[in-house]
Amino acid sequence: MELKSIKDAFDRVANKHKLSHTKTHEIVHMLSQELDKALSLMQDTQLDHKSILVDAKKLFTDKSPAAQLDSAEKELNVALTKYPKVLEKQLNPEIAKAYRTNAEFDTHVVNQIIANFFYRQGMFEIGDCFVAETGESECTTRQSFVEMYEILEAMERRDLAPALNWAGANSERLKQARSDLEMKLHSLQFLKISQGQNSQEALSYARKHFAVYADSCLYEIQKLVCSLLWDKNLEQSPYSEFLSPVLWDNAVRELTRQYCNLLGESSESPLSVTVTAGTQALPVLLKYINVMANKKLDWQSVEQLPVAVELPEEFQFHSVFVCPVSKEQSSEDNPPMMMSCGHVLCKQTITRMSKNGAKTSFKCPYCPTDIDSTRCKQLYF
Amino acid sequence: MEIDPVTNGNTDTVMAEPAPAIAPSRPVPSSRSSQLTESIKLEHQLLRVPFEHYKKTIRANHRSLEKEVSSVVSSVGDLADNDWSKDVAVSRLTSLVSRLQGLKRKLEEGSNVENLQAQRCRARIDHLDSADVENITEWNNTKLKRILVDYMLRMSYFETASKLSESSNISDLVDIDIFREAKKVIDALKRREVASALAWCADNKTRLKKSKSKLEFQLRLQEFIELVRADSYKQAILYARKHLTPWGATHMNELQHVLATLAFKSTTECPKYKALFEPQQWDVLVHQFKQEFCKLYGMTMEPLLNIYLQAGLTALKTPYSFEEGCTKEDPLSQESFRKLALPLPYSKQEHSKLVCYISKELMDTENPPQVLPNGYVYSTKALKEMADKNKGEIKCPRTGFVCNHTDLVKAYIS
Repeated sequence: MELKSIKDAFDRVANKHKLSHTKTHEIVHMLSQELDKALSLMQDTQLDHKSILVDAKKLFTDKSPAAQLDSAEKELNVALTKYPKVLEKQLNPEIAKAYRTNAEFDTHVVNQIIANFFYRQGMFEIGDCFVAETGESECTTRQSFVEMYEILEAMERRDLAPALNWAGANSERLKQARSDLEMKLHSLQFLKISQGQNSQEALSYARKHFAVYADSCLYEIQKLVCSLLWDKNLEQSPYSEFLSPVLWDNAVRELTRQYCNLLGESSESPLSVTVTAGTQALPVLLKYINVMANKKLDWQSVEQLPVAVELPEEFQFHSVFVCPVSKEQSSEDNPPMMMSCGHVLCKQTITRMSKNGAKTSFKCPYCPTDIDSTRCKQLYF
Repeated sequence: MEIDPVTNGNTDTVMAEPAPAIAPSRPVPSSRSSQLTESIKLEHQLLRVPFEHYKKTIRANHRSLEKEVSSVVSSVGDLADNDWSKDVAVSRLTSLVSRLQGLKRKLEEGSNVENLQAQRCRARIDHLDSADVENITEWNNTKLKRILVDYMLRMSYFETASKLSESSNISDLVDIDIFREAKKVIDALKRREVASALAWCADNKTRLKKSKSKLEFQLRLQEFIELVRADSYKQAILYARKHLTPWGATHMNELQHVLATLAFKSTTECPKYKALFEPQQWDVLVHQFKQEFCKLYGMTMEPLLNIYLQAGLTALKTPYSFEEGCTKEDPLSQESFRKLALPLPYSKQEHSKLVCYISKELMDTENPPQVLPNGYVYSTKALKEMADKNKGEIKCPRTGFVCNHTDLVKAYIS
């Protein structure tokens, strides 16, 4: 991004501004000096006051301060006019063009989304202020997030009790979600105890809690128990990684994720996901809308975008199959079918290709295998 | 921040061994840095608004300075031309001298204000400059907060806006004072007072004239109508003579139409003229003022949040997002997002992207999809993990169908 031209243009404005200011200051100073001089001449000497004034007037008319001020301003004005043009050239001044006026947002819904966002990020004071100012009703998820942040704050203070309580209470659902949160928390507690130089207590803790995870995390457990041998100087042991705060960060992240999941929320704030997706989609949409506007075509009332916005992986939440032949997205009426060679086409394409030539078999477009359209298997992603 | 020509985008997907047969390759997503460039291009408002404010201040200060200086110079001329006694001359000259002292002070103060505003412009340029592929998450976080503050300012939730901007340290990146200025005028209009709006028009006369704005004309017309409504016909005519006639040259039709209200009472049933007396006319004025205001400062009419949300929702909208079992990771699984997305078009995809139901990972050439005998598809990695844990047995998590790992067939999605 050539921010350089913007920076240069603004530098020019700043310089001209400084110059103009210096000049202006000089002019006013000069005026003030001359008047002071005239005044002291009048007060202190016996010179005729009228002639003093006439002299002063002549001086001012000659020097013409108004014209000088104007010229000081002129160069600055040129720079001031140029800068917005540079801005308009480098940046897009009309992103509002992409806004569909036939799809006005309901303010209440937007406000609800924002309130939810504040509570999820732990910004309770701001969230409350927002709810009060907008007059929206209480946000239902507020209490749950308050509890979550209480647990997280405790973890900041290295107190794992609330976290362990919560994980224990939700153990079944965590297992269903294939989360290793409980193991992570128990390991941290174990390390905390062992660093308190209480190997006996640590061992009994391990015996009590690690057994369950023996088949999934055996290696981890082995490492943890071995680290007990170095309880006095873990930094010099091969297990110094257990001292790293990254372990706590990972546990905090995992807890946040699972907590949100069990609450029925996504692990990333949906508002930031959508806005980030919007940032990526806007340039594509704007380009398309410009083309449509140039051709005087209507773009607001389509059911599906005619252009694809390629979002990165993390925005792919659903499997989407696009038939490589017809370029159509599969749907319930037109499901993906796998042919005997392993290649996949959508049902309508297969039907079309097999009808071509009054034969029921056709050749797969990718490998020259003969395909029988009745022997294709419907796929479920 | 310049486009790096070397990184050509292979940071997110790795094309390992070539796909079998003639499967065409998937397109490489745009490189992160070119995405960043595109997203910076959307930030015109961020830089333009403080600049317009800065320009306005400079010009206003300069105008008042010019006026003062001219007035001083002409006073000196006046003193010199006429025959005043020495005492009067001295006292007048003294007052001129102190006027100039005052002017010097004002100059300093004005320059300080201007410098602060220039600093704000510069801070924003620096902020855009600081965006980097490395710190992109943090930068996007700040961006979201900025967009939220913009939304709140437009909806007049000033308290939350200031709290949010302070706590997120983005005071330099938001325009709270400018919106407050607009709110004063809008509130006055809502109370049916045109004075502040007219003052604003006077302040920005040259810009409004350049853009051929008829806001001032509309304001005057409304005042005229109010006079007619109050039955003060004489005042109305005087008012029209003074304030409406200058606009006759360019807007004669409208002028005639409104002047004719003199012949009707405010309770008239005649539809064409009844409309002019409607209280909604004031709402129209408010809207027009907002339009002129936004145009002047280079702001969008709609809140930035709505623009970004619309674009994002439509890019994420798939028919699957509305299904019962939709994954919670999809923002459109939330009721509120679904409501907003209802009137928007669906996204379009040009290439297949498949997500494994078990691991939620992308099924690509690194981790190709495999098909069970019942037609259900999962990723190779997830299926292998399952087989390893269950002595080669595979159980479909959605249907309960059981088969062996050896029964799986690889699928080729182009």
